[in-house]
Amino acid sequence: MAEQTTIGAALVVGGGISGMQAALDLADSGYYVYLVEKTGAIGGAMPQYNKVFPTNDCSMCIIAPKLVECGRHPNIRIMTLSTVLDVAGRAGNFTVRVREYPRYVDVTKCIACGQCSGSCPKSVDDSFNSNIAKRKAIYIKYPQAVPLKYQIDPQACLRLKNPDKCGVCAEICPPGAINFNDRERDHEIKIGAVVMALGFQTFDPSKAKVWGYGVYPNVITSLQFERYLSPNGPTDGLLTRPSDRKPVKRIAFLQCIGSRDKNRCNNEYCSAVCCMYAIKEAMTVKEANPELDVAIFYMDMRTPGKEFDRYFERAKNEYGVRFVRSRIHGVEPKGTKGDLRLHYISVQGKQVEETVDLVVLSVGLETPDSMVKLAEKIGIHMTPDRFASISAFMPVHTSKRGVFTCGAFNGPRDIPQSVIGGSAAAASVSALLAPARHTLTRTLPPPPELDVRRQTPRIGVFVCHCGTNIAGVVDVEEVAAYAATLPQVAHVARNLFTCAQDTQDLLVQEIRDKGLNRIVIAACTPRTHEPLFRKTLKSAGINEYLIEMANIRNQNAWVHNQQPEVATAKAKDLIRMAVAKVSSLTARKPLRIPIAPSVLVIGGGVAGMTAALNLAQQGFQIHLVEKTTQLGGNALHLFQTWNGEHVPRYLKGLKEEVQQHPLIEVAYTSTVLAVSGHVGNFVTTIRTGANRKRVIEHGAVIITTGAKRYIPEEFEYGKIPKVVASIEFDKLHMHNETRVANGKSFVFIQCVGSRNQERPYCSKSCCTHSIQSAIKLKKEAPSRQIYILYREIRTYGQRERIYNQARELGIVFINYEMHGPPRIKKADNGVLVEVWDHVLHRPLEIRADVVILAAATLASPEAGDLATLFKLPLNSDGFFQEAHVKLRPVEFNVDGVFVAGLAHYPKPLEESISQALAAAAKAGRLLARKEINLEPNIALVDPVLCDGCGLCIDVCPYQAITLVEYRDGEGNPLKTVHVDQVLCKGCGICQGACPKRGVDVAGFTYAQIEAQIDAALDQSCVLEEDA
Amino acid sequence: MSREAKIIAFCCNWCSYAAADLAGISRLQYPGSIRIIRVMCSGMVHPEMVIHALDKGADGVMIIGCHLGECHYIRGNEMALARAEVIADTLEDLGYESERFRIAWVSSAEPERLAEAFREMSARLASLRETDASPSGIGE
Amino acid sequence: MLPRLSFECLHGCSGCEMALLDCGEQLLGLFDRVEIVHFPLLMDHKYQNPLSGASDGEGEIILPEAEIGLVSGGVANTEQLQVARAMRAQCRTLISLGTCATHGGIPALRNQWTSEATLQTVFAYGSPEKALLPGEVPALLDRVYSVDEQVAVDVALPGCPPRPEMMLEVIEALLRRESPDLAHKSVCETCPVIRQGKGQGTMRRFLANADYDPEEPVDQMRCLLEQGLLCMGPVTAGGCGGRETPLCIRARVPCRGCYGPVRPGGNQLLDMMNGLASNGIDYRSLVDRKSLLRFSGGHGLLKPARNRKESN
Repeated sequence: MAEQTTIGAALVVGGGISGMQAALDLADSGYYVYLVEKTGAIGGAMPQYNKVFPTNDCSMCIIAPKLVECGRHPNIRIMTLSTVLDVAGRAGNFTVRVREYPRYVDVTKCIACGQCSGSCPKSVDDSFNSNIAKRKAIYIKYPQAVPLKYQIDPQACLRLKNPDKCGVCAEICPPGAINFNDRERDHEIKIGAVVMALGFQTFDPSKAKVWGYGVYPNVITSLQFERYLSPNGPTDGLLTRPSDRKPVKRIAFLQCIGSRDKNRCNNEYCSAVCCMYAIKEAMTVKEANPELDVAIFYMDMRTPGKEFDRYFERAKNEYGVRFVRSRIHGVEPKGTKGDLRLHYISVQGKQVEETVDLVVLSVGLETPDSMVKLAEKIGIHMTPDRFASISAFMPVHTSKRGVFTCGAFNGPRDIPQSVIGGSAAAASVSALLAPARHTLTRTLPPPPELDVRRQTPRIGVFVCHCGTNIAGVVDVEEVAAYAATLPQVAHVARNLFTCAQDTQDLLVQEIRDKGLNRIVIAACTPRTHEPLFRKTLKSAGINEYLIEMANIRNQNAWVHNQQPEVATAKAKDLIRMAVAKVSSLTARKPLRIPIAPSVLVIGGGVAGMTAALNLAQQGFQIHLVEKTTQLGGNALHLFQTWNGEHVPRYLKGLKEEVQQHPLIEVAYTSTVLAVSGHVGNFVTTIRTGANRKRVIEHGAVIITTGAKRYIPEEFEYGKIPKVVASIEFDKLHMHNETRVANGKSFVFIQCVGSRNQERPYCSKSCCTHSIQSAIKLKKEAPSRQIYILYREIRTYGQRERIYNQARELGIVFINYEMHGPPRIKKADNGVLVEVWDHVLHRPLEIRADVVILAAATLASPEAGDLATLFKLPLNSDGFFQEAHVKLRPVEFNVDGVFVAGLAHYPKPLEESISQALAAAAKAGRLLARKEINLEPNIALVDPVLCDGCGLCIDVCPYQAITLVEYRDGEGNPLKTVHVDQVLCKGCGICQGACPKRGVDVAGFTYAQIEAQIDAALDQSCVLEEDA
Repeated sequence: MSREAKIIAFCCNWCSYAAADLAGISRLQYPGSIRIIRVMCSGMVHPEMVIHALDKGADGVMIIGCHLGECHYIRGNEMALARAEVIADTLEDLGYESERFRIAWVSSAEPERLAEAFREMSARLASLRETDASPSGIGE
Repeated sequence: MLPRLSFECLHGCSGCEMALLDCGEQLLGLFDRVEIVHFPLLMDHKYQNPLSGASDGEGEIILPEAEIGLVSGGVANTEQLQVARAMRAQCRTLISLGTCATHGGIPALRNQWTSEATLQTVFAYGSPEKALLPGEVPALLDRVYSVDEQVAVDVALPGCPPRPEMMLEVIEALLRRESPDLAHKSVCETCPVIRQGKGQGTMRRFLANADYDPEEPVDQMRCLLEQGLLCMGPVTAGGCGGRETPLCIRARVPCRGCYGPVRPGGNQLLDMMNGLASNGIDYRSLVDRKSLLRFSGGHGLLKPARNRKESN
């Protein structure tokens, strides 16, 4: 085969969160990215959501910085209104044809002023708002859309249908951007790899008439409900009954609409996200109005993710959401006023009828037909559930080499799984295209920086409305007018969304036009949005640190939303404080230090090996530290994945690859003793084997320390030999041990040690595991009696198939509740299991030959030590707590440290592998930069004030401060302290100790803090109150 | 009362400031008198800043850091705690009620705890004002 | 005409003036070049308009004009207030001389109590009667003020007493119409002792001796604070030893803080306790921590304890 050149570019199909993540990771890792999106703007489904579970973050707010990052990345080319026609070539060297449909608006001219939309006479249903509102024929998808350019809907536009009609937009468009003669264009693109992030659509419940969707106006979908709740939605977050706009008093959520359903649709699978989003939506409405009656009708509450069960419990116990285990098969009208009647059989077996005002259908996810067709055209295999067919061992690889896949196209999944998938796909592409890294990317030199040292501050204040989030509470107009009166403020502007991409361009323009040299953004929190605005300052040619954010949303509008006057007054104070601080900020340069191009991977399980191998394939040196004498970790106890793939064979291959890779060095029987340094330059001491110490220098760390299994203390485990844990049972089963071989009756007990008071979390993989074992037992001998005693069966996603299979095979599922767990007694020749049967409503006694306990997965006890060494947080269950549950699922707030696998949370093998690849992507993205910019938030010594008294030396937790002697001009010996720039982390503990203000942290100096205090307490600004 | 009561709250970037953000996300409500000043670590706050705020007319001052043992900078909050005792003692020496200062620990995941600390401080200062307004207190 | 100097001593001990005289022969050189127009402690000089002990503002004191005025002592009663104002009115450049004038000094320890409580304690201790002052004695102010709290001061020259050479240097500089070069760092600046970090456990009793070898020079001695002695060097303005070793350290005893805080507006009590607490030293082992403000209780730093209402 002839050697073909590898092309250092990738095509990402789909601009949702998964595709965006893949694009960003790839572009930052040194590959040029074409991001193809079929609609007019990227963002996918996330911008439609009000909040995200389980953090209840505002969805738009957390995705906005990523949208902007994609929009202005010099190595990402966004192609909207485009679809892929075909893909030719082979891995490393593909030629793709992309068709770009006409927008009818010249993106180079459109200034997104919105005049066109304002005067467009044609309104149609707005699909972004799930058709509960209208939009014009010329429109933007949503206010923060990237790119923020109008588009014409050719199906709706009067002029495009009839050249003699309308055309008013073209007449009034100030820059003349309208082009009715726009035509579709085909592009031929050369790339090395393809990432398919094709996304999903929600199930259309109007197809099946039973729920009355499309017939009764008060039956809506969960996505419509989401738009009603959204403060930026068409109702400004006000929920009323669609039929009569009356307040809603009773809401029913019906779960599994278009999921777990072979009758009304062919969606056999579980959509995996609906339980959680229903809880979220229920909590949101209860929060706003605790009087509401909100009920969720469900079959199993599938909340297996991290912190999900706690969320579920909170909804139930703190918010008073009613959870009713019953599948509702129909919705009927009651009376003529729009009320709806639900009819069901309760858990107690009683007929119940309820009347509600509003029915919310928790619609499932499915792959759109067009995407299935595209997949077929590209030549990748699909599952019967119409998702991309992937192996659990290669969770982002399609059947076609060089074509990767991520997001909900791989099976229904939530945002973090999609983000992880996007990063994992990027890691796999990076490994494939490593020889061509940095061949097609370009780095734009930042514009020359203006020296502001001798300039008097000219402050620009930008007040964000955040849609209605701020402006709905705070009188932004008054606040902006007030800001203009503050000293040194040269310019004040208000923005609908200051974080939107067009506002960034505007900011740059204003900074240049008005000669601004310091910026105050009065919006949300600097913790999430400051990096975005810093980049904007940089591109405007002023130092990126000359910015201060006034947090008038999270810490004002939202926490005082019942008191608008208070919030308005406080917003003024916060802006005054920010202005006071920003005027004394100084330009700083980040500390540039080279990155050690190697990674320390701690833990040699599947996650650790996967990450190590991927990074080695990307060309980085890996130190893999394993505490035992062999690689494999917990996977050594596994036999098959949920869809029946053989784990030992895979594991053997993976181990060999790791052991043979020249760039991977494995240290067995080794543990981490000490850690120093920081991102880019860690120095870690490990103890290996016979008490020998070794020092490793590395640029990044991936923690994959796994988990351990729970040793049950209940159900007579350890007392009756016929009661075994599931992992032990697998071994007995494999060897066909007599207990199994001769067994006629098997009882599986689920949730042993999970989801109880001590460990209120789900171990995620046990339901699937038990069902698999049960199926195998049943298939071996159909006469065997097999029972699974469960609390909720959580075969989420496509795993539902094996649950169905198990039931078809005659395996008996018996539900039990926390308050009435099964009881185990020793009996002649076996064990007696007593349980309450929820169908027969009476106690049931089962004679079992073997009782198998699905024991919990526990956090590794060593996690605490590593957490201390690397200064990482653990959650209350002892698992590592990632930086952001949704959008930074493998990162920490400590830069350069990543987590994957069971150390993060219990999960099945494929999710561990995905996460390990994602962690590898993040480490690779870091190392690809070769050089890192450290935040210059470090302590600076003022030689005029410091006299070397030494009160700060022992105070420093990083031993960064040393006493130095020097001589002044006259030869007098003098003392001062020296702060090591790299060791210093900028905590300012020295600053708090110094009696003479001789040392303080840049950006938080005494003077700046004092200025903020003084501004906060400035009485001249207090309005006269009534006596 | 002719002037508006204000409470300066120094919140550390990693825990309490994050909790304050989360309090917003959760729409928890707390008194409008709170003015949060972001610092990198509770150990960064010099006791002089506390006194300075009171001298400038703050009703009360709070320092809110991560839980002990969970400091992002190893032991900054322990330092803040050691100083808090100094501050409380010195306040009395300098003629302020020690109740005007409070140190509290809140993790980034505990917005309710933070809001409660704010409410509690506000109530405490309100009762202090009542005492002050009585004739036996030292007047203006 | 020779430049005129005017001296006044308010609420102080006249130690500053003694220190000035300590300059010895150098003083003669100075006196040749100036005219001393007013110096009540050294010269028989009557106020032109004697006080009647009346309250503040009545009966103006007239003092001679001078280019340079030096005021020692703080302001504690109505007469001193009038004198201070008169000095300010008549002197082109006004120097506050010594820690009493710059920070209140030892007399400002009184500020821990109300002036009524002070009078009662001093003049009527153990008596049920209320202390009374004769009418001709000037009334006490509510507390002891530093001079700069009452009138504008051009140069602050702290010390208890100020270093004699420094006094001369300042006067000489002013005569040359230059701004005087004053120390702005702490006692530690010129302290030569060995420093290894302050993080050690407990404070020793004040009377405990430092560990040192009398045969060795002072720069071979470990920092006294690091030895557990309450040395206030880090929170005290330097200058007592000139560019040489600070005086108390020279005597191998810890700094007592007599030059007042390093920074204008600094607080020796707070800074010292903060320094100790930050280094893990149990500051509560200090007896009478308020005495850390023994030299700098002016500027409102020492206040009477608040008269707090009992319980709810």
